[in-house]
Amino acid sequence: MPRKFAFQDRISCDVLVAGAGGAGLRCVAEILEHKPETNILVVTKVSHPQKSHTGTAQGGLAAVDPNDPVDSPLYHMFDTWKGSDCTADQNVVKQIVASAWDEILWLERRGMFYTRNEEGKLAKRTFGGHTIRFGESSAFRAVFESDRTGKGILDTMWGEAVKQGVKFYNQHLLAELVFDKGICTGAVLFNQKEGRFLYVGAKATVLSTGGSGQVFRVTTNCRHNTGDGLGVVLQHGLPVMDPEAVQFHPTGIVGPGILASEALRGEGGILRNKDLEPYMERYAPKMKDLAPRDVVSRANEIEIREGRGILNPDHNIEHVWIDLRHLSDYVHDVKLREISTFFKKFVNIDPKTQLAPVRPSNHYHMGGIPTTLHGEVQDWALNTIPGLYAIGECACASFHGFNRLATNSILELITMGRIVGNKVLENLKEATRASEPSAEAGEHTFTKFSSYLSAKGSHNVDKLKSDMRNIMSDKVGVFRNEKDLSSALDTLQELQEAARTIHMECTSLIYNQELVQRWELDNLLSVSLVITKSALERRESRGAHTREDYPERDDAFNYHTLARISAPGAVELSKRSINMDIYESGGEYAEKFGFIARKY
Amino acid sequence: MGLVDITLNIRRYDPDNDRTWWQEYAVTVGEIMRFVDVLRTINTELDSSLAWNSSCEHGQCGTCSVLVNKSPVLGCELLVQRAIERFETTHFHVEPLSIAPVIRDLVIDIEQAYSRVHEAKPYLIKPAPLREDESYSTLFPRSQEAFFDATRCINCFCCAQACLSSHHSFIGPNGSMASVVRLMDPRETARDERLKLLYSDRGLYRCHTSRACSHVCPKEIDVAHFLALGKQGRFDQDKNSKKG
Repeated sequence: MPRKFAFQDRISCDVLVAGAGGAGLRCVAEILEHKPETNILVVTKVSHPQKSHTGTAQGGLAAVDPNDPVDSPLYHMFDTWKGSDCTADQNVVKQIVASAWDEILWLERRGMFYTRNEEGKLAKRTFGGHTIRFGESSAFRAVFESDRTGKGILDTMWGEAVKQGVKFYNQHLLAELVFDKGICTGAVLFNQKEGRFLYVGAKATVLSTGGSGQVFRVTTNCRHNTGDGLGVVLQHGLPVMDPEAVQFHPTGIVGPGILASEALRGEGGILRNKDLEPYMERYAPKMKDLAPRDVVSRANEIEIREGRGILNPDHNIEHVWIDLRHLSDYVHDVKLREISTFFKKFVNIDPKTQLAPVRPSNHYHMGGIPTTLHGEVQDWALNTIPGLYAIGECACASFHGFNRLATNSILELITMGRIVGNKVLENLKEATRASEPSAEAGEHTFTKFSSYLSAKGSHNVDKLKSDMRNIMSDKVGVFRNEKDLSSALDTLQELQEAARTIHMECTSLIYNQELVQRWELDNLLSVSLVITKSALERRESRGAHTREDYPERDDAFNYHTLARISAPGAVELSKRSINMDIYESGGEYAEKFGFIARKY
Repeated sequence: MGLVDITLNIRRYDPDNDRTWWQEYAVTVGEIMRFVDVLRTINTELDSSLAWNSSCEHGQCGTCSVLVNKSPVLGCELLVQRAIERFETTHFHVEPLSIAPVIRDLVIDIEQAYSRVHEAKPYLIKPAPLREDESYSTLFPRSQEAFFDATRCINCFCCAQACLSSHHSFIGPNGSMASVVRLMDPRETARDERLKLLYSDRGLYRCHTSRACSHVCPKEIDVAHFLALGKQGRFDQDKNSKKG
């Protein structure tokens, strides 16, 4: 009988892609369109690529139409730079914005069902922070598929993958990366369904593992967004960039925290407090309800804190209202159909006639695995690691800096997916893979998994996870301060200790949900630690990172944070400079790309 | 907050010993909690070994489908309060769907079910060429409206579960609908290839027109309507593309 904790399978491929959401699948499509004979293996933790979290994106996809008479890529670049609170990398912003429209067309030609206007052309809507002429007025820049744009992208992408005959390994975890003299030569996978460990030798490994929203109690993120890609790189002593840059969506539906898109406000929805005052006029006199997310989240949180919120009796949670009653039936029934039904389904409210309860909910991780312009993963010294790439929410190039604009995330997924696909192809010729695992490969994973199953104690994995999420939401949320962050750091270290004594009810390796959650908890705790430590050391407010004790942005912090775990529970910090290519080019309007004040 | 005592009788399966049994869990939960929240409560308070599947948990991915008192539902959309009203009881039987083999407890091998959707080619096989002055296809809202609802399908397989036909011989309501959508999409030119499958012995004639698919669809898509259009060959493609 084979040993349980050993490789039961050894596979070789050209490219291993971990994560089958928009970014991973766009990368795969690009590689196969140029070189159909490439041997690609796509691994996903979910049960089918269609179950990936990309599918839940609602509002739209920002891209400047070259035929638009008033909009310009330069305005989109400016909005992204300003929105990032001057912390995005300008070379990345330029690269993504410049090729955005090509991606829209690419998806359309592969069958995406974009919403059209009466002339049969792509319809566009406006979103927070997107403007023309450097903030003069709102830009109609986002194409969309009703209020399920992410689903449109994901369905198109997995359809393409099926068309190209891509091999999927569903319900597999990427537990460990394998290196040979500093080159990534493969990975260790765990097949959940059969309880088997696999070694995969790959010339290129692409991490597209998605977000980490499960770190927080109230989140729009799916159950599987447990920061696994970040957990794995941290486990290898590699850094995560800007982990403290976490976005809170202003309008999560009270209760489960489900996303109620900006599209509600884009279509004319108005935020109101308990006195029904349209309070955004006070916080952002010009952009009002269409100000960027961090601004609106803070406004919502302040209204609640200062006693102008409303208490929901069922959830015992305070919230504000979003007023959609004045919107036409057409808007409710066609343009906002899914979101309208969410209010009916989850809070039993008819938004046509009743005010709808919303509050800030964790939404997006701007930070992630540091990469170059082309998605190549960087180490602590900022050298690229041959054979290793990262894209999508788990990566940080950085396009979003410290605050992401609405509709910029799915744009980044597909654009960076294509760019990394090309980079992988370019590097594939000289790349190497190890078809047999080295002696050390897998040892870390085998030790970890066997210790999970044999641990003695009384802790419950769900309970510890929920303790961690409460701490993170209460102390590392929309508003942060020195005292709360320090105390959160202590608690997280205690939780890491407690996790060693989690008792497993089920000790099988076959579809053991508890075992997978135990592994996820380690990832979540690592990610929580680097978020909290980085937030503590960034003694300023920047984008979505708001310190009550340091309310202003401070030029001394004009850099990206690099954080790594140097010893169990110990976080070490370093810096990466912000790319200022557009500013330094000295071209027309270059002055707009300096460290400008951020007012809306 | 209204608390309520409910009992879940869950069908379990242990793959290590190939053993199936029913296990009862009594829990006190909030009335507006969803079934996925109830399962999580069981994991936290009573039995951490109970396996169940979910992903987005707001009705957009179709991972958490289960049978509650024999009805296929999304666990994330069924509020305890509504379940009590609908089934007129506080005692619920929860089982995995039967459209694919069970892996453990409430988790089924959804990949096997998806193979029937893949068979239906859920993509544009051969897009129509663009006119010289176009960079993308011009499509009119009124032609898209005819099939837009079908594009909302999340492949939760509730319809396949409710279907009277066997999933062994039929590509299923959702599989069929995936192909009908592309037949109605003016951009698709590979019509013959699609019709060949749709009118094959694994295709639409397996449908007994019970309309159970429409009845159970969590997205409230009239699946049977699209199957009926397929049976009649009424894809209206020519009319649509010439409109406007």
